[in-house]
Amino acid sequence: MDIQLTEVGPKTSFFTAPVSSLSILFSHRFLIKNLLKRETKGRYNNSFLGYSWTVLEPALLSSVYYFLFIMLADNPDRLYPVWVIIGVIVWTCFGKCLQATVTSLTRNASTIHLVYFPRIIFSYSTVGSTIWTTVMSSFVLIPLLFIYDIQISWQLLLVPLAIFLAAFNAIGFGLLLAPANCINRDIEHLIRFIVRAGFFVSPVMWTWGMAVERGWAADVVLWNPMVFPITLARDGFLGHVTEFPLNGMMISVGWGVLMWVIGSALFSKYEHSAVKYL
Amino acid sequence: MMGQSIIVEDVSLSFPKKKSILQMLKKSDTSSFLALDKINFSVKKGEVVGIIGRNGCGKSTLLRIIAGIFSPDKGTCKSAGKISLLAGLGTGFTGHLTGRENAFLYGSILGHEQAVMKELMDEIIAFSELESFIDEPLRTYSAGMKARLGLAVASALNPEILLIDEVLGVGDPVFKEKSKKKILDMVSEAGTVVIVSHSFGLMTSICDRVIHMSDGKIKFIGEPQEAISSYYASEEGRK
Repeated sequence: MDIQLTEVGPKTSFFTAPVSSLSILFSHRFLIKNLLKRETKGRYNNSFLGYSWTVLEPALLSSVYYFLFIMLADNPDRLYPVWVIIGVIVWTCFGKCLQATVTSLTRNASTIHLVYFPRIIFSYSTVGSTIWTTVMSSFVLIPLLFIYDIQISWQLLLVPLAIFLAAFNAIGFGLLLAPANCINRDIEHLIRFIVRAGFFVSPVMWTWGMAVERGWAADVVLWNPMVFPITLARDGFLGHVTEFPLNGMMISVGWGVLMWVIGSALFSKYEHSAVKYL
Repeated sequence: MMGQSIIVEDVSLSFPKKKSILQMLKKSDTSSFLALDKINFSVKKGEVVGIIGRNGCGKSTLLRIIAGIFSPDKGTCKSAGKISLLAGLGTGFTGHLTGRENAFLYGSILGHEQAVMKELMDEIIAFSELESFIDEPLRTYSAGMKARLGLAVASALNPEILLIDEVLGVGDPVFKEKSKKKILDMVSEAGTVVIVSHSFGLMTSICDRVIHMSDGKIKFIGEPQEAISSYYASEEGRK
């Protein structure tokens, strides 16, 4: 029995790309498992403290911001250091995911030149390993629960959900720009700037509550899709489901879904022409 | 047509030249390099076809078109069955992972399933002659050990169409012989093979037909000996 001749190369339809990307992830799960292992094991390779760095990094960073903040504005909220730590954790997850997806094709150029599998796998596995290390780093919050005498509640699970949401907000935008970054590396430099600037525009060093106190600021801030995940994590830490306005939630989740649909579609459409530039 | 494994029709591919934003504003017509120029050929099921030509003539690019790594700008490439490209042994090898972990990683990159890899592991360890080194980090390996592990994993592939891009010639003479034998075994098992090599002796002994390429075009397809003469003739012409 002869095997049918078929045209070489993938034929993902432009419109079903987001859904078919999920089935690609499932069918290549063994590959993804191994790529994840490589990234997570490599991240803290040859270091004495190893995984402790996932916890140490946000803790040290937050203490610096804390001192900066009490110098600028005295008498902050008792829980302010916690808010900064959570802000740093969730924002860093978004920033790392965005940078990792944008550079997912360029960093893997040598593999791409030697073997074909759907390249979206590189993007998802790098995001997966970032989510994993971020969830690890959120364990820094457990001692803080005792220090600040806060009841342990199921709402703490909103913290990993917020981390996932932050990563999801990054992946669509990253997929959209990854092929463009093959053609012109200016994209990754631009993204690095956006991540740095976004740190101040997003509620890392300030909170949603502070924006509400200023009235008009809340209406502006609502349009930043990262305000919701960070606020969700903070409220979850305190043990209540967020009171964040519904339209703000919809903006955040809507941005994530819209970018993911557009990003996946454009990624599958342009990956083939983009890899010629690698 | 019955019994065809690979059909390449009118395939053209050009690589864009890298430009910075400033250069993009200035329009110039030398913005791309034509790597493949209207390539037409087909490979029958069970046939071993070689490709020869000087460096940069498009041999490797043509293999990558068949493997699906690049998609052609014009024309189509059709194939029947699972394709594996054997090139640059040890893709994705990572220094901080152990030999075993790297074998799993490389195997999964090449498209093996987990169950298959677990089954093949003993065979891979035996062939690579690594023994207890298999659980040491890869950065402690010598170049020859890495090459052995790479070939051991790659040779466990079982494709219907095998594409080989210059993978011979690493390691000590004994292993070189062993790897050559292994690749020849793979060639005879796979049935349909397209091989790029500079080793004309090997080409005449295993290929049914040889393609001579020059500057992205096919100059000659046919008997290995005649293709090699065509190659030398065109090299003479260049001088």
